[in-house]
Amino acid sequence: MKPPTQRTNPPRWAEWLLEWFCAPHLLEEVQGDLHERFERNARQFGEPKARRQYAREVLSFLRPFAIKRQPNAYSPPFFASPDMLRNFFKIAFRHLTKHKVSTLINLLGLTLGVTACLVIYLITNYELSYDTFHPNGERIYRLVGDIKYDATSERHSVGFIPNAVPAGMRKEIAGLETVAAFHNLETDVLIPNGEEKPTRFESRRRTGGNADIIVADPQYFDIFTYQWLAGNPKTALNKPFNVVLSENKARKYFGNLPLSEILGREVIYQDSVRASVSGIVKDWTQPTDFTFTDFISMATVRASHLKKEINLDSWNDNWSASQAYVKLPAGTTPAKVAPMLQQFAQRHYPKEMKFWPALQPLSDLHFNADYRDNYSRKAHLPTLYGLMGVAAFILIIAAINFINLSTAQSMQRAKEIGIRKVMGSSRKSLVLQFLSETALLTFLAILIGLLITSPILAAMQSLTPNGLTYNLFSPQNLLFLVSLIVLTSLLAGLYPSWLLSSYLPALTLKGQNSLKISQKGYLRKGLIVFQFTVSLAFIIGTLMVGRQLSFMRNKDLGFSTDAIIDVHAPWGDKGQVLAQKIKQLSGVDQVTMQWFPPMGSSHMVTKLTYRGKKTIETDVSAKIGDANYIPLYKLRLLAGRNYLPSDSLREFVINATYAKVLGFKKPADALNQFIEFGDKKLPIVGVVADFHEQSFHEKISSVFIANMPDREKQIGVKLATKGKQADDLKATLTNIEKAWEEVYPDNKFDYTFLDDAIAKLYEKEQKTAQLVNLATAIAILISCMGLFGLATFTAEQRTKEIGVRKVLGASVVSIVGLLSTDFLKLIVVALLIASPLAWWAMNEWLKSFAYKVDLEWWVFALAGLLTIVITLITISSQSVKAALANPTKSLRAE
Amino acid sequence: MRRSYLGEFEELVLLTVAVLGEGAYGVAITDELDRQTGRSVSISAVHAALHRLEEKGMLSSRMGESTAERGGRRKRLFTVTALGSRTLHDIRSMRDQLWHSIAPNSLPAISL
Repeated sequence: MKPPTQRTNPPRWAEWLLEWFCAPHLLEEVQGDLHERFERNARQFGEPKARRQYAREVLSFLRPFAIKRQPNAYSPPFFASPDMLRNFFKIAFRHLTKHKVSTLINLLGLTLGVTACLVIYLITNYELSYDTFHPNGERIYRLVGDIKYDATSERHSVGFIPNAVPAGMRKEIAGLETVAAFHNLETDVLIPNGEEKPTRFESRRRTGGNADIIVADPQYFDIFTYQWLAGNPKTALNKPFNVVLSENKARKYFGNLPLSEILGREVIYQDSVRASVSGIVKDWTQPTDFTFTDFISMATVRASHLKKEINLDSWNDNWSASQAYVKLPAGTTPAKVAPMLQQFAQRHYPKEMKFWPALQPLSDLHFNADYRDNYSRKAHLPTLYGLMGVAAFILIIAAINFINLSTAQSMQRAKEIGIRKVMGSSRKSLVLQFLSETALLTFLAILIGLLITSPILAAMQSLTPNGLTYNLFSPQNLLFLVSLIVLTSLLAGLYPSWLLSSYLPALTLKGQNSLKISQKGYLRKGLIVFQFTVSLAFIIGTLMVGRQLSFMRNKDLGFSTDAIIDVHAPWGDKGQVLAQKIKQLSGVDQVTMQWFPPMGSSHMVTKLTYRGKKTIETDVSAKIGDANYIPLYKLRLLAGRNYLPSDSLREFVINATYAKVLGFKKPADALNQFIEFGDKKLPIVGVVADFHEQSFHEKISSVFIANMPDREKQIGVKLATKGKQADDLKATLTNIEKAWEEVYPDNKFDYTFLDDAIAKLYEKEQKTAQLVNLATAIAILISCMGLFGLATFTAEQRTKEIGVRKVLGASVVSIVGLLSTDFLKLIVVALLIASPLAWWAMNEWLKSFAYKVDLEWWVFALAGLLTIVITLITISSQSVKAALANPTKSLRAE
Repeated sequence: MRRSYLGEFEELVLLTVAVLGEGAYGVAITDELDRQTGRSVSISAVHAALHRLEEKGMLSSRMGESTAERGGRRKRLFTVTALGSRTLHDIRSMRDQLWHSIAPNSLPAISL
């Protein structure tokens, strides 16, 4: 026999397997027999063979008799038997009703937590589901690219392509399965109705709806799948002057006519492009950026005056309306197509203008703001992730409340646990009991959450994405709710249940605390610190975002925005007429014909050349208006004068930054210098002080102001405010509207207040501020509720101690102090942790602003102070009550 | 007479237990069956049969002393019960009766 040091062993895994599946009452003999045979085999045939034989034998024991457990009179019943579960819920219900305060706190906290999760889930899910429903969507790409208009301009990404590119690609690149180009069209639509005047549907430029009209290749319907209700999908877009409508749009145009009768009807675009309806498709119901409802055949372009607007043969011009999609054959990747695209680019763009085509996946369309276009609404992915983070933090804070309160109260349940254990309860069943309590509470919270979600979403419309649709009871949503219940129950309930079920019955029944002291305090304190770290970070965020917003609102922009409206006259030459009419109204101070106001979302840049000591060619932002422009907006002249009224471009006024860029030390030096604009060479007659023309994200750059009458289509109106009431302003606006109706009887009066237009630049920041405020409020609310519960509990527990202290002469103040310092220490620790985190986060956020407030220390101090005050208010009611209690009462009861 | 049915393999196992007397446990029974019948018997089949026989009340068992060679694990030792013994006898007498009922020379002769 081999010496014991060289003992051979059967395969490990086989041992484990046997021990796992074999019924315990059989294991000893079976394993013994197998080992005996193994050792004999090892001696006779060597170890490898013995091991193989052993494994075979173990596997051969996979039979019912070996697996079946032996029934035993004393074996524990199935730990989740219906009887036990009923008992669990009964006890849970009694426990919850007995401790009303902590139940209420937990329920409120969890409700807030799960509702926040639910609301944020609905929002993010909606955004993330954009255009995910297209068959073969992973093979659909948009043609985008990088463009460089000439040698001196910068290369930048664009979400649109020169008009001639799609057709060129279809011809020259073999590997693309389908290429479909389309052009966005923004126009009023006329529907002949048998009367003299056709029904007019205004362009979305005025109504502000989704992009609806496109001129599309027939291949559009090969790439995107629609359900056809009428017409032939194969031929509907083949001929000029055909249009396919969506069902809803057809109903809007033609009312309740049967679909087959709508076919062949006439729809007029741009006043004279008469298209007949050749097909009707069902509207998509899922979230999509392809909101189009009128598909005009591409052949219409060459056959109508649309060719003036859309030059299909142009390689060297690029408009954002020009779009193209590609469906790659199965198995082709964009990487495989890339070299062909490159060759294509080299072939067609050898000279000045460069264009590098690229493919953008469909799934990227809704999120990538680099590739701009006219129709898709971009969702900001980091914001969505931020929202998810907020949801997670709020849920965790609520769970922490639950953990803290239930572990703090655990001693009250120690006896119950002791009895249950003595009666034969296993640890597993105890854990299940406490988890079922948590699940019950979470379930209640979710029910309440479901009730209040719709009102909340309705109330927060300014924060939710446009067109948000949701179904609370869709299978996907129910799955989310179930996982939310499970996750929350585990998050909140696992630790308390593990802790409670660890009590030793022998100790708890004797009335002793079986917990180790060290273990008890630190976890709870750590969790409170975590809660307040989150709350404090939110508070600091609120303060900083609020400060930046008020900075942007209140900083001097360099021009006047007070009581100025911008009237958006429709295309055409009647703007002058309207301006004349408005000028004569009594409540109007000044009127200017302009391209755009000094500041707003529209921002036009052009190239100007100055030939001084050296030639300086730069991008300069154009502000175009007549001679009233500078006085109306109160732009401050540093040197020179305003340009004189004229009927063409004669003179320039520039801003101080541009003067500096051109190398003039004093603004006055720039006067009477000449600047080249296209083929004209014109003098600078004035220099104005810098003013903001874009949002505060952008630095003030070079600007020129000039009069170009052919561009001046909009009307800036300064209303007289001196000695006027708000009612007078309203009356003036009504008069302007009347004037509008005389000039444009077909169009709706369309105007904006300059203040509002500027505020719109900060829509995203406003939303961020609202969100941060909301998150802060919820976080503080939940944290304070938890603190309140804990304060109540500790005050109760220390009744005797307080009684003794009072008897020995302690004052009420010192006792309140005693009860509060513990909590205050934690707040200070939380502040120390939160400050650097919040500093870093806010610094990142502020980086995107060219003009911003500083991160000052007092913001952090203020946040800390606020939290301390809130904490004190929260806990003082309880600690004062405990301190005022009469010691004779608290000490008498034993 | 109501009698529990015994399969052929069960009968062999029961008989082997009787053969081994005091020392009848899984490995020994398997080895003995191997030697006596000459067919390769799997240990799990033997265990299954023993288990079934015990359920039918034809075997009783007790745990033996622990020995070092099985890693300290005890053997389960089997003995034939009265019911088991009766069943074996019944089977045997039934077979004998059948043998006696065979008319002479009706079986083809085989050379032994």
